[in-house]
Amino acid sequence: MIDVRELTIHYGEFAAVDHLSFSVHPGSIFGLIGPNGAGKTSAIKAIATLLEPTYGEILVQGISALNQAEKARGFLGYMPDFPPVYEDLKIWEFCDLFAQAYGLSGELKKAKVLQALHATGLQDHMHTLCRTLSRGMHQRALLAKTLVHQPSVLLLDEPAANLDPKSRIDLRNILKSLALEGKTILLSSHVLSEIEDTCDTLGFMREGKMVLSGTLDEISQARQKQNSLKIRLTKPFPTLQKIISSIPALSQFEDFGGNGKEVRACIDGGEMVASEVLAQLVEAGVPVSGFAIEKPRVEDLFLELESRPARKGDQP
Amino acid sequence: MNPLIRRGIRERLRAKKLVAAGIFSLILTATFYLAAFFDGMQVVVPAKESPTGVTELAFNPVNGAREAFTPLLVLQGFFLMFLGTGRIASVTAEEKESGLLDYQRMTPMTPLAKIFGYLFGLPAREYWMFVVTLPFLLHCVVAGKLPFWNILHLYAVFFCSVLLYHLTAHVIGLVVPRPRAASWVARLAVLGLYIFLPALGQAGISFLSFLTILPTYFGKILPHLFAEGTQMGRFESQAVQFWQEVPFFSISLSPTTFTFVMQGLILLALFLTGYRKWRLDSLPAFSKPMGLGLFATLQFLLLGSLWPFFSDGQASGLLGSVVQLDPAQVGLPSQLKSDAHPALAMVVVQSTFFLLSIGAILILINICCPNPHRRLKGIQRIQKLGLPTIPWLADEAPGGVFTTLLALLAILPYALLHLLAVSSESIVSISSSPSSIIAPASFLLFCALSLRAAREQWFNLGFWGFVGLLWLTPMLACLVLAVNDFLGNSQLMLHLSSLSPLTFIPQLMVYHSPNLVDPANPLVDLSASVRTGMVASIIGFVFLTFKLWKSSIK
Repeated sequence: MIDVRELTIHYGEFAAVDHLSFSVHPGSIFGLIGPNGAGKTSAIKAIATLLEPTYGEILVQGISALNQAEKARGFLGYMPDFPPVYEDLKIWEFCDLFAQAYGLSGELKKAKVLQALHATGLQDHMHTLCRTLSRGMHQRALLAKTLVHQPSVLLLDEPAANLDPKSRIDLRNILKSLALEGKTILLSSHVLSEIEDTCDTLGFMREGKMVLSGTLDEISQARQKQNSLKIRLTKPFPTLQKIISSIPALSQFEDFGGNGKEVRACIDGGEMVASEVLAQLVEAGVPVSGFAIEKPRVEDLFLELESRPARKGDQP
Repeated sequence: MNPLIRRGIRERLRAKKLVAAGIFSLILTATFYLAAFFDGMQVVVPAKESPTGVTELAFNPVNGAREAFTPLLVLQGFFLMFLGTGRIASVTAEEKESGLLDYQRMTPMTPLAKIFGYLFGLPAREYWMFVVTLPFLLHCVVAGKLPFWNILHLYAVFFCSVLLYHLTAHVIGLVVPRPRAASWVARLAVLGLYIFLPALGQAGISFLSFLTILPTYFGKILPHLFAEGTQMGRFESQAVQFWQEVPFFSISLSPTTFTFVMQGLILLALFLTGYRKWRLDSLPAFSKPMGLGLFATLQFLLLGSLWPFFSDGQASGLLGSVVQLDPAQVGLPSQLKSDAHPALAMVVVQSTFFLLSIGAILILINICCPNPHRRLKGIQRIQKLGLPTIPWLADEAPGGVFTTLLALLAILPYALLHLLAVSSESIVSISSSPSSIIAPASFLLFCALSLRAAREQWFNLGFWGFVGLLWLTPMLACLVLAVNDFLGNSQLMLHLSSLSPLTFIPQLMVYHSPNLVDPANPLVDLSASVRTGMVASIIGFVFLTFKLWKSSIK
C-alpha cells in the first residue's frame, strides 16, 4: 500500500511536485501519466526514499518513508528511468548481489534468484554478462533484480521505454501476475496504450499536481466522456443520419470511413442501451454488419487535458 | 561475505583477469626488486682490504635486501594508493551519476557495510596485485634482517593510509555531483591533504606531517636500511631526528601513535560524511554539530602542536632550524632587526595558524551553511509546520550562530597561545598589547560572517566567484604592480593586498610584531594598510549581511 499525502518537492522556488495526494492499494497497478516535467519521476523518487521532499507524508505499508526510510526500503522495489546495470556481472550474479544485500542467504537466496529469473524469462540467459544484453533483456534483468527480494511495493519509472512490442506484452503480463499476487504497483509511462492495457487506476499529473485520478470509467464520467458506438454497414444507407438523430441515446454522428459504410456516434449509456439501439436500427432496415461499443481512450483524455490551460486545484 | 566485496571480486577477478593482473604485478615487482637487490648487494672491496690484494666485488645479500625495500614499498604504494584510489573515486562518481548507487542506497544494508563494501570491493584487483608482491617483502625482511616489529609498525600505518586515501576518494565520489569533477577534486584533495598540508609540518604545525606514512618510514625504518658498516648522512640523520618524537602540549608521542590518531580522526570525519551521503544524497556532507566538532578538534590539534613553540620556543623541522640560527650567520634585510629571525618564525607560525583556520572555516561554511535553495526549503517547511523559526542546528538554518562559534573556536586557542608566549620567558618575543589579539580576532570574525552571508545568498558560482575575486585578484594585481615598480608601488601594493585575507593576515602579524621591523629604518608604513584591511572587512561584513537580510525579508 502506498499513501501519499500533500507531497511537495521544491527545487528552489520551482515546485516540481505540488501538494500531491493519492493512494495505491495492494493488488492494484496505478499508472502515472503526464507530460515531461510534470513531476512523475520526482514523485516516484521521493516515494523510493531517494529524494527529500520539502514537506508532505509518504507511507509505504503504513511506514513513513521520510522518518523511517531504512525500514520502508525493505518493502520497496524500485526500477528507475534509464536503469543501469553492473556490466561486468552475469545476470544471475547481478540478482544474487541484491538478494544478499536484502539479507537473503543460502538455499533461500538461490531459490529467490531463480524465481526472479523465471518470472522475467531470463532463466536461459542467467550466465550472460550484463554488458552483452539487448535493451529488452537489460530491462528484464533490472526487473528481475527489482523482484528478487519479493518487495510488496513496486515503483517502476518508465519500465517499457524502448522495449519492442513482444517485450512490452511480456512485461505487461508479468506486472499483471504480480498484481494478482497482491503487490502494489506504481508505474509511470509515456506509452499511453501500455498504461491503458496494464493499469487499473490512472493519475494524470501536470505541473506537479494530480489533475485527475481514478479508474478509467471514473475518469470518463468525471470528464463527461461518453462511450462511442461504432457501426459498420454492408452498404451505405441514405437515411442513416436521420434515423440516428431520432434515437435519443445517440448523438454526434460521424462518417469516419468517409464512404457511408463506417459511422460512429456517441451513446449515452452502456451495453443495455446499445442493445436497444441495435434493435431500433435493425427494425428501421439498416444493414448492420458490425456493431461495437468503444470506451474513451487514455490517449483522448490525455490530449484533452494537455490542450486545456492549467488551473489551480484542478481535481475531479 | 559483504555482497559488495563479492561483487568486486566477481567483476574484477575472473580467472583471465586474475592471471593477467598477477603476471603484470609479478613481472613489475620482480624487475624493480631484483634490480635494486642485485645493485645493493654488490660491495666494492678495496685492494688493501682484499685478501687477494686486488680490488674486488663482494656480494652481501643483507645490503641488497635493504636497498630493495624502498622500491618495493613504492611499488606497493603505487598499486594500492595510486591505482586503487583512482578506481574508487571514478567508479563511485560514475555509479552515482548512472543511478547504480541508488540501487545500493535502497538496500537495507547499513551505510557502514556499504562503505566497507566499496572500499574493499572496488579495488579487488589492486589488492591482488599487492598480494603478489608479498613473497618479495618476506624475502626482503628475512634477507635484510629488518626488525620485524618496525616493519609491522610501517605496514599498519601503510594500510591505515591506504584506507584513508580510498575513503577520501569514495567520499569525494559521493559528494561531488559530476564524475569528471569528482576525479579532479579527488586528485586535488589527495594532493592537498597528503602532500601540501604535511609540508606545513615544517612550519610548526607538526600534526599535519602525520597524514602520510613518511613519519613512520623515516622514524622506524630508515635507520635500518643502511648497508652494514655504513653510517647515515647529514640529511638522513636530520630526517630520522625530525620524525622521532612528536611534541604535543608538554608530552611527546611516538610517530606511529600520532599517525594513527591523526589518520583515525580524518577517517572518522570521512566515515560520518559517507554515512550521511549513503543515507540521503541531498544531505550536506556535514551537519552543523559535526562541523563544529571537527573544527574544535582541528583547533585542539593546532593548540597541542604549537604549545611547545609558544611556551618555550621548541620547534622541529625548518621552523626549529630558523629559531636556532646564529644571528651573525643570518643575512636579513637591513629593514629588519639583526636578531629578527625568531620573530619572523613567530609571524610565520601565527599566519599559518590563522590561514589554516580561515581555510577550514571557508570549507565548513560552504558545506554547513544553506545555499538559497536549502534556506528556502527550510522556510517553506516551517511555514507548513507552523514553527516560528528553523532550529539553529538544522541543515536549513541560517549559519550566523554557527559561523560565530567557528570564529570563537579559532580565536580562543590563538588568544591562549598568545598569552602563553607573553607570560613565558620564551626566546620568541611577542607583543603584549591587547590589540595584537583583538585585531586579528575581529578580522577573523568579520571575514567569517561575510563568507557566511555570501554563501547564503548566492549559489556555488556566485559564492566561489566572490571568494576568488576577493582573495586572489588583489594578489594578482600586486604581482603586476611589483613587476612594474616594486619600491614606487609598495604602499599601493600594501593597501591592495590588505583586501585579501591571504595577504592581510601576514601583514597584520608583522604589524603587531615588536621585534621584527627596525623602527629607525622602516621599509613601508603598515599602519595605513592595516587600517584599510580592517575597514574593508567591516564594510564587507555590513554590506553582505544587509543584502542577505534584505533577501530574507523578500
